[in-house]
Amino acid sequence: MPHDADSDQKAEDTEQQPGGGHSADPCSHNAEPSLIDCLTVPRFERPLEASVRDGKLLTDAPWVRSLGKLDLSITTEGWKFPAPPVDFAPPARPAGELPLGRHEVKLPVLPDGGTPKKAPIRARPTADTVLFKDRLLCLLQPPLDGIFDGRQLEVPFEPFPYQLEGIAFLMPRHAAMLADEMGLGKTAQAILSLRLLFHQGTIQRALLICPKPLMHNWAREIKMWAPDVPFESFEGDQDQRRRTWLVSNCPLKLINYETLTRDEDLAADERITFDVVLLDEAQRIKNKDSKTALVVRSIHRTRSWALTGTPIENHPDDLVNIFSFVDPGRIPPGTPPRRIPLYTSDSILRRVKDDVMSDMPPKIVRDLEIDLTPAQRQTYVKAEEDGIIHLNDLGDTITVQHVFQLVMRLKQICNFDPRTGESAKLEQLLTDMEEVAESNRKAIIFSQWVEPLDVMAKALAKYNPLQYHGKIPQAERTPILDRFKSDPSCHVILMSYGTGSVGLNLQFTNYVFLFDRWWNPAIEDQAINRAHRVGQKHPVTVTRFVTGNSIETRIASILDAKRKIFNDLLSQADKPTSLGLSESEIFGLFDIKARPKRSAA
Amino acid sequence: MSERSNLPVTLGFLTVVQEPSGWVGGYLVTNSWGRPLEFRLTTAVQPNRVQSVLYGPTLTEYLHADLIGKTLIEKTGVKPDLIVADNPATLGLRGRLEIPTVAVNDSAAEVPDTVPFTHARSTVPLLIAKRFENDRQAIADLLERVDSAVDLAEPFARIREAVIEARKTGVTNRAA
Repeated sequence: MPHDADSDQKAEDTEQQPGGGHSADPCSHNAEPSLIDCLTVPRFERPLEASVRDGKLLTDAPWVRSLGKLDLSITTEGWKFPAPPVDFAPPARPAGELPLGRHEVKLPVLPDGGTPKKAPIRARPTADTVLFKDRLLCLLQPPLDGIFDGRQLEVPFEPFPYQLEGIAFLMPRHAAMLADEMGLGKTAQAILSLRLLFHQGTIQRALLICPKPLMHNWAREIKMWAPDVPFESFEGDQDQRRRTWLVSNCPLKLINYETLTRDEDLAADERITFDVVLLDEAQRIKNKDSKTALVVRSIHRTRSWALTGTPIENHPDDLVNIFSFVDPGRIPPGTPPRRIPLYTSDSILRRVKDDVMSDMPPKIVRDLEIDLTPAQRQTYVKAEEDGIIHLNDLGDTITVQHVFQLVMRLKQICNFDPRTGESAKLEQLLTDMEEVAESNRKAIIFSQWVEPLDVMAKALAKYNPLQYHGKIPQAERTPILDRFKSDPSCHVILMSYGTGSVGLNLQFTNYVFLFDRWWNPAIEDQAINRAHRVGQKHPVTVTRFVTGNSIETRIASILDAKRKIFNDLLSQADKPTSLGLSESEIFGLFDIKARPKRSAA
Repeated sequence: MSERSNLPVTLGFLTVVQEPSGWVGGYLVTNSWGRPLEFRLTTAVQPNRVQSVLYGPTLTEYLHADLIGKTLIEKTGVKPDLIVADNPATLGLRGRLEIPTVAVNDSAAEVPDTVPFTHARSTVPLLIAKRFENDRQAIADLLERVDSAVDLAEPFARIREAVIEARKTGVTNRAA
């Protein structure tokens, strides 16, 4: 570019004007010329001609690579769940903290209080929960711990952790058997599970089937554990019951086995479907072809839940037959007993007290062998000798009933001598009852027969005994139990195994006496667990009276040896056999040569 | 006490989790007892390198608040009274929707542009966006109407399990 040295010099001179004074120069401030005007810019003599080649946009590889989409995008998928019914909508809450007592319950201090915080207990979808929405509904439920801690739902006391696990087991299952040992609170677990399913809107109609003597007990438990769930019982004549079956919209209905079999046509009516059918004491359908079992299985239902503390009373078939209600077709016909758990294990939850002992006070079992009084012994020996002679005389016409009659006769003598009325057991019982009354405790005495209970009632008069057995009218039974609980002067209640062993909550009792032994250890366990159950705060002492060197000791030894079989099946142990006494075992109780004709053949 | 204070409250719990296939949003609407009313999931979104460079430091908030959060809430039928997130990056949602928003924050570190906030319904501290500090009283009033057994920090474990379940069944790939 051309350059003019004079021009440069001139510019310098201009900038260096002394004093910054003004001049006529166009660069003075007043004229405010542009910079270009201030400078003498040399100019080209002629315009320059641009010599530019055509530009090219580099839009192709390898100069340019595609960036792809610059914006991000997503799509969504959603699921709506059943809205909780209005009846179970959360109550309106006042502003500010809850006033004390409004939703608070006094929670009992657990025996193992102060345990570290455990992982929340929640229901999980089961393997047979196929629909993703159903699995989601299960996964998205809040933990059970928070629901029952007394702040959200009204409960008499906070369920134990194993009970929450029981609820988490039941809730997602369409086929379930809760087979906890008696006394662990199956009733509460079942009611709370139903209550939560009602709250979720997952179920609208449930049917609860229980033994007749337990209707009152269930009603009381429902009021206690689900006060917000309306329920009604099937009562009255056929027309009234028909309305309950067909018209009533009550969400929870209670019926006993006897009424159910009377209403067999309605029970099987296709117009009637229940979201849950809950079977209490499910061993009632252990005989597959019994009318009760047939009617129970005929009910149209979505979920089948069974409660029983004795899923196997006598034989593995008991379990198979209960499962024909719980999950029809689950166990293939002819399945060997040792393979049954393969089909049932996911649907059975069984805990024994040893599993949850940290939640329960201990049970102390005392086998008390008592010598017969001399008079009793004399009567006993004579009866046995005469009886054996009689049995042998029967030859091949002998039946198990003949042997059974002798067993019963001898057992009764072990209780009371029919000639003198003497009873070694009663003498011991009177001694023990003094201790019970002195410590201000209560006791239950069980017997196989009602007659000994009458005799005992007279002997124990000073302890204000109450009686609860099959001869007591149904309407009087609940008041008797209420009085036993509330009257501090009533220290003892006398019960028959048949009436008192099932479903009653007597956890305010700390002593149980088995005056004579039942044929089946499972029934005895049921009886014991009237007292040793959830809510019990003190150890329970169980005294099993057995007279020495007698038919009782022989039976007890056989039954004790077989007692463990009950758990064997559930733990996939060896093939179990019958729990009760078999025919050959009954014959083996005596040294008799006679045998039934078919046996001899 | 106003009539409004007796109305049931619905809570929206929003989380964004990083799955192998990308970021997945899970949104659970519950009643005031914490029981599920509606659930919605997004497909997985994975920003590529160029997108990451172009969005720069705004990417996280964009993903949490704009792309995933706002979409989920707008698509869901049940409208929440309060949105609870488990990541402070989601608090930006408040600027896009007229719904009070809090984030549970179990980290001790201070989060810029947020104000800490505690309430009995949460076992961990809460955060609200500094720009919307005026929401504090409204949020406190809403939380008073939530059942006292509810812990705002708890439902996120449920959502994460549901997301895992969805991944197992391939739902996060087919959401539409």
